[in-house]
Amino acid sequence: MFVAKTIAADHKDLIHDVSYDFHGRRMATCSSDQSVKVWDKSDSGEWHCTASWKTHSGSVWRVTWAHPEFGQVLASCSFDRTAAVWEEIVGESNDKQRGLSHWIKRTTLVDSRTSVTDVKFAPKHMGLVLATCSADGVVRIYEAPDVMNLSQWSLQHEISCKLSCSCISWNPSSSRAHSPMIAVGSDDSNVTYTGKVQIYEYNENTRKYAKAETLMTVTDPVHDIAFAPNLGRSFHVLAIATKDVRIFKLVPLRRESSTSSGPTKFEVQLMAQFDSHNSQVWRVSWNITSTLLASSGDDGCVRLWKANYMDNWKCTGILRGDGSPVNGSSISSAALNAAAASGAQNSTVGAASAGRKKTQLMPG
Amino acid sequence: MWHQADDSLLATAATNGAVVTWNLSRPCRNKQEHLFAEHKRTVNKVCFHPSEAHMLLSGSQDGFMKYFDLRKKESVSTFSGQSESVRDVQFSTKDFFTFAASFENGNVQLWDIRRPDRYERMFTAHTGPVFCCDWHPEDRGWLATGGRDKMVKVWDMTTNRAKEIYCVQTIASVARVKWRPERRWHLATCSMMVDHNIYVWDVRRPYIPFATFEEHKDVATGIVWRNQHDPDVLLSGSKDSTLYQHMFNDASRPEVRANPEGLSFGLFGDLAFAAKESLMAAEGGRKPCPGGDRRYPIFFFKKHDVMERFAQVSSVLSVFESDLDGGTRMDWFIETARRYQLSGRPFAELCDHNAKVAKELNRPQVSTTWTMLRIMYSDPGHPTPPANHNMSKLGNMPLMNSFSLKDMSAALNERNKENRQDNLHNLETNLNNDENEETEGSDGQAEYLFGEAELDDDDLYSIDHDNQAAEETEFSLPQEAFPLRHEIVEHATAPELPAEKAESPQASGGETESVCLTPMESFSLISVSQLLFQPRLLPGFFNAIVKDTLAYYAEQGDVQMAVSALIVLGERIRKEIDELTQEHWYMSYIDLLQRFELWNVSNEVIKLSTCSAITCLNQASTTLHINCSNCKRPMSNKGWICDRCHQCASVCAVCHHVVKGLFVWCQGCSHGGHLEHVMEWLKSSNHCPAGCGHLCEYA
Repeated sequence: MFVAKTIAADHKDLIHDVSYDFHGRRMATCSSDQSVKVWDKSDSGEWHCTASWKTHSGSVWRVTWAHPEFGQVLASCSFDRTAAVWEEIVGESNDKQRGLSHWIKRTTLVDSRTSVTDVKFAPKHMGLVLATCSADGVVRIYEAPDVMNLSQWSLQHEISCKLSCSCISWNPSSSRAHSPMIAVGSDDSNVTYTGKVQIYEYNENTRKYAKAETLMTVTDPVHDIAFAPNLGRSFHVLAIATKDVRIFKLVPLRRESSTSSGPTKFEVQLMAQFDSHNSQVWRVSWNITSTLLASSGDDGCVRLWKANYMDNWKCTGILRGDGSPVNGSSISSAALNAAAASGAQNSTVGAASAGRKKTQLMPG
Repeated sequence: MWHQADDSLLATAATNGAVVTWNLSRPCRNKQEHLFAEHKRTVNKVCFHPSEAHMLLSGSQDGFMKYFDLRKKESVSTFSGQSESVRDVQFSTKDFFTFAASFENGNVQLWDIRRPDRYERMFTAHTGPVFCCDWHPEDRGWLATGGRDKMVKVWDMTTNRAKEIYCVQTIASVARVKWRPERRWHLATCSMMVDHNIYVWDVRRPYIPFATFEEHKDVATGIVWRNQHDPDVLLSGSKDSTLYQHMFNDASRPEVRANPEGLSFGLFGDLAFAAKESLMAAEGGRKPCPGGDRRYPIFFFKKHDVMERFAQVSSVLSVFESDLDGGTRMDWFIETARRYQLSGRPFAELCDHNAKVAKELNRPQVSTTWTMLRIMYSDPGHPTPPANHNMSKLGNMPLMNSFSLKDMSAALNERNKENRQDNLHNLETNLNNDENEETEGSDGQAEYLFGEAELDDDDLYSIDHDNQAAEETEFSLPQEAFPLRHEIVEHATAPELPAEKAESPQASGGETESVCLTPMESFSLISVSQLLFQPRLLPGFFNAIVKDTLAYYAEQGDVQMAVSALIVLGERIRKEIDELTQEHWYMSYIDLLQRFELWNVSNEVIKLSTCSAITCLNQASTTLHINCSNCKRPMSNKGWICDRCHQCASVCAVCHHVVKGLFVWCQGCSHGGHLEHVMEWLKSSNHCPAGCGHLCEYA
């Protein structure tokens, strides 16, 4: 079961993204009001806003944390066509009385000519690497050659995806068997363009990112994309938020010979597809062990998905934004027995169909 | 600029300071009507008086504004802004005599055309040049200004002091601003550089454009609403040498594409969720998309509805925290990591300890796996009395091995052969069936026979003789057992291995429904079986299964178990799993541990790992530079004697012996010593034990 706490965010416009830091004790929100806020969890479990500052001159679409090894670093991207890297300054300037901290801009990445829609730090083992994607369909990968100097970033790669990009996700696997990989989603509304999810892989020989896979079955606009934490798996799991929630499994096929320099071939399996949000799905997020997937859609609900031993994904809970449980959804531990499972399943289905009825009354 | 009443009259301004009016209705080729060459520098703007047909106002780079009467040859009056350049002049829509002028220095001046000596009012609107201004067509006191500071500001001019009532932040300097006809809150802007788009803003929501026209390939130089009463048609000219007539319905709506929700899983299983308030308030229904309205632009009332909705937005931020008994919390992981013992004790004890930890944390399947590992890899320390008895029969085992059972299993069958000749046939067919149906069939056989072997002979006889009917069901068990086994796996996410082993005869015979075996039950049963066949097993017999088990745990997301078992098993299993996979597991687990700030555990794992790539992790990027505490010079890293002053550098200030273990020192005076000695000392005194008088602080 979840306990819902509402936080007075006090953003003056829509909040577009929420992001936890590496250790789960800090949180950053960004909003169309052009500001980013940082929240710290006190020992009593309360969230306090410790910083709020204007970051861009347009809507801030995403905010993301770097690995703490690089310091307390945030990256944000905005409608104003820039992405920015921010660092928290620890020292005398911090207003300890009011519990406020000071963030300063380390760099502004101005290469995009259109709105920058997503920004993500690469997994730590790749160094201090940042990827951005923009509405004109370009993914840019920046690297800070000196991790101590956050104000110097060089543009390493520019990948043209042809379609307007909305979201990116790095493959978090730290295995040497997996080359760096990045998945890009497109929110192009033209459904005749297939393959709204493209996966690019770094090729050691050519030192370039090359397209490894296109998920041709995804034709609707993709709003969010998330690789599951890898945790020693040999395969990759990718969650996609489009008009429904989809979970793909990418199994790298063994290469015949190690000399072949082409991109890794994957066996792509669609593991699950849920349209129970009955609307656009905006966000997907994995828990740390990648056993649980959360998705949120236009129905204002968060749904939790969990796989059983056979990779059968099921809804294990629905959370309303205001905290009221939709049904007796419970995320109970492993000891859930069969009867209860089927019961919960039924009630979930019931709730879903009720939701459908409601939405049918609405045009559009 | 066109004359508002006369369609054929046109005024232009030029960079050479000329203001020209053209009359298109003139019959000859030269359409030029008037030429006023009074300005000395570029004329930035000309403006006809909205109601006075012959009056024209100009604003120039030279800082002057001139008021022309088209019936006369020269200007009627000249207004001096007493500052640099005039960027824009606009007659008020409310007041016949008033016009506004915007200046390059950021000021806006209000003038009365009857008083050319002095402006009526001046205020600073922007930092940097004010490129444009526009009076609101209905709310007569409102003036919108746009400047190089990328802002559009709306001023209320009705009060004594100009009051800023709205401020829109755009992404580039604002070149033109035009109120949208018939829409009280809307204005259109275009930019002077960088940005090629034309935006229509709702001033009440200054962050997201209400609509965007994205057609131009270069910056737009001018925009104008086509008709004073038509809110739907906008004309724009651009440096890309195109002129567009935009229909408002074709505009893209950034808000529709903007993400209304944010969602993130925290490390501890808590979930942060931010969503648009209306999404949560409405009973799960998406507001009809504006596309629905687009088809009926006539219904203003509906259109307004969209606007109202657009203007009033906010998000709710909430955090869902999993409570104590929730399975999503990560407490189990932390506890497990803390309490597992990975080295320093005999193998069997480690396994037992870890099994106990897992059991206490309510993870029976992991616990069982540990127990199994102990059994599979322990040397059978117990005497094995039945071995001889069995061995004799096991000798002819290969004969019985006609069907594809594992050797051991077959041997066990052999043992019961006398009693079970008939049943064996039954079994055999069952098993073969299974093999066809299930890829895991061979495992299934082993499992069944494990259970079989656990029974004492007496029990077997009793079953055979007393429960002949039940026997039938028991022997059809392997088939039934498959769904059953899956049930177990499903709820406990147990791996194949423990679940298989756990299939005891009791459970399979009568109590098939009660799938929850306690680990102890299966443990005892299996340990008996182990006695029976252990002596003749090769040491690596279980390696394949264990390898699969570890891989299974890893694929299920429990890399903790995979790594812990890998470490505890050590050499027993290491060669079975390829180096890359191991390294991957280690890396993932260490990353997890570091996330939870379990540095000690993480270090232990690094230390115990056998992969070279891992063990070097805590040997990298750690350098200690030591200075001699006597002569303050850098020390070579060998030995305790400073080679400059030839004294022992690391002498404990308390006991005066050389410290060879943990050395703690005060960073202020560099004196220190044995950890325990210094701790003892500090209980009695705050001063340095070396007597240097320093008030020592130990971090």
